[in-house]
Amino acid sequence: MAYLSMGEAHRRITDYLNRFSDAVFSQDGPSLKQLLSFSSNSPSLLALADALNVFQDANRLIKQSEKYSQYGEITAPLFRSLQSYRLGNLVDTYSAFEKAANAFIQEFRNWESAWALEALFVVAYEIRVLAERADKDLASNGKSPEKLKAAGSFLMKVFGVLAGKGPKRVGALYVTCQLFKIYFKLGTVHLCRSVIRSIETARIFDFEEFPKRDKVTYMYYTGRLEVFNENFPAADHKLSYALMHCNPHNEANIRMILKYLIPVKLSIGILPKDWLLEKYNLVEYRNVVQALKRGDLRLLRHALQEHEDRFLRSGVFLVLEKLELQVYQRLLKKIYIIQKQKDPSKAHQMKLEIIIKALKWLEMDMDLDEVECIVAILINKNLVKGYFAHKSKVAVLSKQDPFPKLNGKPVNS
Amino acid sequence: MMNHGANSQTISPVDPNSLEGRYVVDTSQPQSSSYLPSTTGSEALSWTMHRVDIQSTESTYHHDHLKEPTPRNVQNGLNATSLASSSTLGTTSASQDYSSYASYSNPTDPYGYASTGYPGYYNGYQQQPNHSYSQQQPNHAYSQPLGAYQNTGAPYQPLSSFQNTGSYAGTPSYPATYYNPGDYQTAGAYPSSGYSNQTTMWSDGNYANYTTHQYSNYTADTTSAYTSGTAVANSVNYQQQYKQWADYYNQTEVTCAPGTEHLSVASTSNQVNSVPGVTTGYPNSSSQPPSSFTPSWRPESTSSELSLQGAAAVSGAHDGYWKQGTSSFFQNHHVPQNYQPPAQTVPSLDTRRISKLQIPTNPRIASNLALGLSKTDKDSSATGAAAAAKPAYIAVSMPKQSDKVLSTDAADSILKPGMFPNSLRFYVERALKRCQDHCKNDPQMASCQAVMKEIITKATADGTLHTRDWDTEPLFPLPNPDCANKESSQSSTPVASLPKYRRSPSKRSKSRWEPLPEEKLVEKPASVSNDNVKFGGWERKPLIGNSESKVDAFSDLKYSLSEQKTVSKSAQRPLKKQRMADAFNSAENGDASSDSDKEQSLTTYYSGAIALANSPEEKKKRENRSKRFEKAQGHRSESNYFKPKNAGAGNLYSKRASALMISKNFDDGGSRAVEDIDWDALTVKGTCQEIEKRYLRLTSAPDPSTVRPEEVLEKALLMIQNSQKNYLYKCDQLKSIRQDLTVQRIQNQLTVKVYETHARLAMEVGDLPEYNQCQSQLKTLYAEGIEGCHMEFAAYNLLCVILHSNNNRDLVSSMSRLTEEAKKNKAVKHALAVRAAVTSGNYVMFFRLYKTAPNLNSCLMEVLGFSSTGEGNDQKDSDGLEECVEWLKAHGACLTVDSIGEMQLDTKASSSSLYIPEPEDAVSHGDASLAVNDFLTRTSL
Repeated sequence: MAYLSMGEAHRRITDYLNRFSDAVFSQDGPSLKQLLSFSSNSPSLLALADALNVFQDANRLIKQSEKYSQYGEITAPLFRSLQSYRLGNLVDTYSAFEKAANAFIQEFRNWESAWALEALFVVAYEIRVLAERADKDLASNGKSPEKLKAAGSFLMKVFGVLAGKGPKRVGALYVTCQLFKIYFKLGTVHLCRSVIRSIETARIFDFEEFPKRDKVTYMYYTGRLEVFNENFPAADHKLSYALMHCNPHNEANIRMILKYLIPVKLSIGILPKDWLLEKYNLVEYRNVVQALKRGDLRLLRHALQEHEDRFLRSGVFLVLEKLELQVYQRLLKKIYIIQKQKDPSKAHQMKLEIIIKALKWLEMDMDLDEVECIVAILINKNLVKGYFAHKSKVAVLSKQDPFPKLNGKPVNS
Repeated sequence: MMNHGANSQTISPVDPNSLEGRYVVDTSQPQSSSYLPSTTGSEALSWTMHRVDIQSTESTYHHDHLKEPTPRNVQNGLNATSLASSSTLGTTSASQDYSSYASYSNPTDPYGYASTGYPGYYNGYQQQPNHSYSQQQPNHAYSQPLGAYQNTGAPYQPLSSFQNTGSYAGTPSYPATYYNPGDYQTAGAYPSSGYSNQTTMWSDGNYANYTTHQYSNYTADTTSAYTSGTAVANSVNYQQQYKQWADYYNQTEVTCAPGTEHLSVASTSNQVNSVPGVTTGYPNSSSQPPSSFTPSWRPESTSSELSLQGAAAVSGAHDGYWKQGTSSFFQNHHVPQNYQPPAQTVPSLDTRRISKLQIPTNPRIASNLALGLSKTDKDSSATGAAAAAKPAYIAVSMPKQSDKVLSTDAADSILKPGMFPNSLRFYVERALKRCQDHCKNDPQMASCQAVMKEIITKATADGTLHTRDWDTEPLFPLPNPDCANKESSQSSTPVASLPKYRRSPSKRSKSRWEPLPEEKLVEKPASVSNDNVKFGGWERKPLIGNSESKVDAFSDLKYSLSEQKTVSKSAQRPLKKQRMADAFNSAENGDASSDSDKEQSLTTYYSGAIALANSPEEKKKRENRSKRFEKAQGHRSESNYFKPKNAGAGNLYSKRASALMISKNFDDGGSRAVEDIDWDALTVKGTCQEIEKRYLRLTSAPDPSTVRPEEVLEKALLMIQNSQKNYLYKCDQLKSIRQDLTVQRIQNQLTVKVYETHARLAMEVGDLPEYNQCQSQLKTLYAEGIEGCHMEFAAYNLLCVILHSNNNRDLVSSMSRLTEEAKKNKAVKHALAVRAAVTSGNYVMFFRLYKTAPNLNSCLMEVLGFSSTGEGNDQKDSDGLEECVEWLKAHGACLTVDSIGEMQLDTKASSSSLYIPEPEDAVSHGDASLAVNDFLTRTSL
């Protein structure tokens, strides 16, 4: 750090204070936003941080004039936070920032119009990001990471401030999305429910009124929640909405959406094109799709095993595992087609022995009982139409559409 | 000098006073008796001490005012009772926090009532002396409560006295000192605070009276001299008075406190008074405080030594609690020997007093235990310095009133009454009210009181005091006033005072809650009793500084406010005041507790103790929420509590109590953070050597004598593992082991073993709820790195999630948490295979896995597995064909026999008739595993 004169430091600090109070007085949201955006690492903020480290008594400056001290509750902890941030002490950064944010919320409450929404968004964003980083620090020091949790409760407070009839309500969805991010990270997704309920049922909120950006994020997260619940039609709807409305140039976001949308689509019988998997680097799904196409049970199991960690982490493992029944269906269908080519009149009589043999070729050792069980389940799940001739060990398939397609409906119907 | 004159005059009044005092004493004695049970011998000792004080105060009172005597007497009596109660409380606390607490809660309420009533009386009295007084008296009463609070915490007492300002302030400070001792004795205990509260209540009434009296007496002297010299004098007087009181108490105790009735008590008290020459000493003290004091003290101390000694023993424990020096107070109080030294110390006390206007309170303390007093004063000043200090100052001006000392004694006596059950108090109140209603004549009141005393003494004598239902007890016929007078003997003046008393109670009782101040007053009185005396002195001063004192009092009532104010005042007036403030705070706490329900009082005590520690920071907050007595109290009590811990009185009870209290405090919104609690200090170390122990859910703090240490628990586990008895027995034993482990906070391999053993046993018999408990405990234990059969239980956990909870997210998360190593484990592999079989619906595979299950996996699969086979029952392995057929029939399946004679399941016909039958072993609460009969059949293998 280059040497910084006391005068220069003083100038930078007063400059910042001036800009801050000017922004508030002129209700200049964008300017205010810049003054709060730590993680933008903007040069002016970094310079200010250096100045603060040189000029240690910034609080005195704040108290010096009425103009500055009016927002001293915000700026004083903000300065402390910035100092710690510059020094790499993220835990302190977070703590001080939370203080500043609390003071900011108090002020924000009193502002009638929604001019400061953008600044509030920055605060909400910063507090989450800082908390995440602080937690990382804490965890690496062997302490219990708790800042993100604290950030979550702070954001709930912010949500309470925004959830009113006024013009500020359009900001509620942004805060909701930040909360989602926190809850998903913490693994406490059950906490999402209360926010979702108020967003979806409160009359003050009109979903279409929210900014598109927030709507997409919201749909993405709620779609993921539906995946957890294995509510595939709803998940399909929400994730598709997110996909259709998201920024088409942001491939990372599209990929994130597809990561969940593809398993959902597979579950309802819709397979993706290979180029899609290529383009968005979702090749882990390729073998799954192949297995579905070929009825290759072994391939499916290998694919699941290969990417088990990834699938488990993203939470789609169980969804993908359930594709097994579709693979069985495909296998039976292939057998049926071959039989039909050989002897169309007896094609609908499928001996269980043949299925066992086919599975053996796939190196899947299953005996008669198991196969019978599987076929019974296929019939039960309406993946196969037919009945058993138990004594002769034959599955008699319907002559009409023996393998109904899912057509966008989930398997379990 | 005024005091002297007053004393001489009062000699005749003394009787009434004594009667009143007796009355109070009586009540107090019953209380004391109640306390005693809870408390150990130390309590008794402490009581005696208090009584002594009371007596002395009474004597002083008598001397002080002939006219006022009755009120004074009443006050004195009240004070005495309060003192007694406080003392008892202190002792009790010392011996056992619990007992003291319990008693506290009860006493407090009654006191509060009494106090309320008193204020009225006082007011009336005050009017006689000075209108301003009467007004002040209420204030004083308030302030007194504060004093009581202070008493609870050493610091608090000072505050209260200060706050009382004027006479009250002074008195409070004294009471505080007294109380402090008492409190200290209580161990510092929070209980003591509670006691003090009660006492304060009583003392309030007393205070009012006292204050007036004292004022009249003192005013002349004090007003001018108050600032410095008077204070000293007062203090001296107080000390002397205390000694006298102690004597009185002793005597009264001998008589059987409550029972003794007016005559006996009066005689004793009178004698004591006269004998000690305390009264003279008082006047002397006022004029020549130090010299007179010392002498008076010594005699008193001697008389009270026995009690004191006991107290001293108690105080030892207390001291620990009251690290701040309150301990020293206690010691002084308790130890008669100390007393004698105190005589020596008295001078020092005096000096202190002199130095500190508030000192008067200190003197009181000194009177209790001169040595201790000095320390206490310091302590008190240190603790509540600021808040207390101011009030104390006011009081200081008041201090001149040697009467104050008396009032404190009276308060003590009142406190003693606090020992009585609430219902009894109400009963008394009712009776008195009736008197008021029917005949507003003082004699009748007096006679009523006499009758009441008799009743109470009787009850005490035959042990029905606490068992009798006072709520339904018929009121005795109104006694003939004349007779009563006669009975009371010498108590014509007392009678007058009594009526006033009664009147005031009635009024107050109505307004019990309305005026927080009143309540506070009541609460304060306990501490006040000591304080009162001081206050009385103070009050007079207050006239000038009444507004201040009142404010203080009010603030005290409001709690935080008062404290803050006191602090500010104390700031003005040096450290001494601070001490006073502390005393006040403590008193406040105690008062608050008295106001609130008994439970609340208990909690408040504890919380208050804690609060003491926190008080400096929290005072401001408290001021903001002035209405929140309880919290402030709680804080204070908490602080006290902590002190006791520190003292390490070694009382497990106290520790536990403190723990409990802490939790309560938290509930109350106590400021103490959980992390501030020293759990190590609270952890029980078991001493039980029994290997077998039945499980009983704890409803109170664990008793170390019933908790088994680790090595015994190990044996117990072995015994269970090798036992041939049924699961119910084993479960019971394991639960008791778990409990013992938990209360001793043992978390090691033994803990893991116990939970593992229990989980396995539970699985074997299908006791899923118990299994789940163990599993969740094991999860955290494993997470802490304690070794055990981690893999085995990871597999169980998986199976449980798969088959039981059916929660996908749980399953995914527990699967993703499995390490590579775990996945290679046989049991975990099996569990994963089961999962795969279940998700793919492969029942065949499921049952094969069931047959090959390692460990107890099959048990879990059994618990959950069979219930999930409903729709696939046609696939079922027919190893047990008959069983299967039976099962199918039970579920409404249509079975047919085909031509070859082979059993067939008519699926088409069955599809509509299948159902799940009501389980035969269904129990009302839905958990069949909890049905004892079923359990016995399954477990008694």
